[in-house]
Amino acid sequence: MTLLWGLGMNKSRRQFFMTIGVLAVIAALLPLELGEFYVHVVAIGFFYVMLAVSWNLLAGYAGQLSLAHHAFAAVGGYGSALLLQYGSEALKIDIPLWICIPFGAFVAGLVGYGLGSVCLNMRRIYLAVTTWAFAESFRLWVISEYEITRGDLGLSTELIFDTSDPTPFYYVFLAGTIFCLWVVFEIIRSPAGFYLRALRDDEEAAQAMGVDTVRWKRFAFTVSSAMAGFAGTLQAHYIGLLTPTPIKFNEMAIILIMVIAGGLRSFWGPALGAMFIQVVSEALRDYSEYRMVLFAVMVIIIMRVYREGLFGMLRDGMAKLPSLSASGST
Amino acid sequence: MPILQVDNLSKQFDGLVAVNDLSFSIESGEIRGLIGPNGCGKTTTMNMLAGLYRPTHGDVRYHGKSILKLPTHTRTAQGIMRTFQIPKLFSEMTVGENMMVPALATSTVKTPEFIEKLEHKSSEKLTFCKLDHVSHLLAKQLSGGQRMLLQIARGLMVEGLELFLMDEPFAGINQVTKETIMDAILEMNKDHGITFLIVSHEMPSVRRLCQTVSVMHEGSMISEGSIEEIANNPLVIEAYLGGQNAAS
Repeated sequence: MTLLWGLGMNKSRRQFFMTIGVLAVIAALLPLELGEFYVHVVAIGFFYVMLAVSWNLLAGYAGQLSLAHHAFAAVGGYGSALLLQYGSEALKIDIPLWICIPFGAFVAGLVGYGLGSVCLNMRRIYLAVTTWAFAESFRLWVISEYEITRGDLGLSTELIFDTSDPTPFYYVFLAGTIFCLWVVFEIIRSPAGFYLRALRDDEEAAQAMGVDTVRWKRFAFTVSSAMAGFAGTLQAHYIGLLTPTPIKFNEMAIILIMVIAGGLRSFWGPALGAMFIQVVSEALRDYSEYRMVLFAVMVIIIMRVYREGLFGMLRDGMAKLPSLSASGST
Repeated sequence: MPILQVDNLSKQFDGLVAVNDLSFSIESGEIRGLIGPNGCGKTTTMNMLAGLYRPTHGDVRYHGKSILKLPTHTRTAQGIMRTFQIPKLFSEMTVGENMMVPALATSTVKTPEFIEKLEHKSSEKLTFCKLDHVSHLLAKQLSGGQRMLLQIARGLMVEGLELFLMDEPFAGINQVTKETIMDAILEMNKDHGITFLIVSHEMPSVRRLCQTVSVMHEGSMISEGSIEEIANNPLVIEAYLGGQNAAS
């Protein structure tokens, strides 16, 4: 499959690797300065970055407004944890985590493929409602099948590292985030990226231009779900406990807010939005649920005033800097 | 063997018969006009030919083979392209990116070298359609005439294009753009042997471009021939002017 290459866009690829390299070095040095709590906060921030960039691939680039992304993270987490528990029992061997984690992502991708196939002819509100219904059904299944999932009591699972220090986990999340950003970058710079954007702008026209819209819709669902599942497995083997609570719609609302706040359809926007909301959310923890009200107001303001989000503001602000300094020097 | 053969094609939407037992054929290299009063089933026919609608009855053969079961994108890959009366562009993509979508989707080779060739081809086609100066703009920023031109230029990017289905390419655009489109059609037909089926209400344009014109009325084909022949056909006059006016 000729997907993962650039359209002669070596320059943008070089820029991407330079940017990601600089950001990775800064992120790698952060734990030296931050306390354990904020190392944990940023590690969870990376979890949301993975969810935000993968949802942006599906909703922002391909125009498929799925409201089940949080559920796919849970599918990945439960997939990995259940394989670890029941697979190991059945096979009478200790299945290592390096098999369970990709397995969780694979299961999430498979379920994403299935859901994408069911939703092929659905658009906008119908797609949103159907995917939300899937997420709710999955949550109810987790609760009701407590003999397998332990329901609301929670399913304990093995940690990636046998330590309570969040720092090694932080680096795993950082590596996972870099991987997800790279995958999304390569997709949107390849012909697949063109097809997904064409599909978003006008599905009928895309078909008439030779784009196999069925195939690419499934592709978007599968890849974004697998990435959400991957993030979910890392989260599961970091926290060590899986419960149905993160499958509530609140979690999806947070992902939505992060992407819109950062800048839907931009490459870096969702990543920026996810980290910003996560850090601000922790800083405002004392205000409990009022945080969500604040974020909702912020989304309304962004949608009214600046649809390109925080990243758009930042980019336009930086673009104005040379002209400001030039005018200041005259 | 005709490039396109339509046999007893019908399309029913619930109780409404939009196309009724339609049969016609188009020879390779022809520029065929398809005219008829509003609501006579021209666009429905185009949609069935392009694969966007599934016919209730009948068959469509391309180079002698039935393409009825082929999805739209496969028909495009086989060289059938259509444009829409209201241009359907990828509005959040630039003009240049719009051009690349059909080129990439219908090419089997996707090496970086080949992509560079496609980009070069895209520049040529944009120049040909007088859109080279707007290639960096988003499609939604184009004027109505430019949008129509982009639809046509984009169609030319289809690998192995043989049959171009155009739905009202001259509707609501100025005379200069109309001339550009007509020149482009004639050149593509003459130099590249592309066959055209053009749905239009613009009789001067149809007269200039089409050797043969097919006339539809209430879902059926009522006449076929040169523009002079159909202009003198009482059935066509009746279809356009109504029974009483035709009689008077």
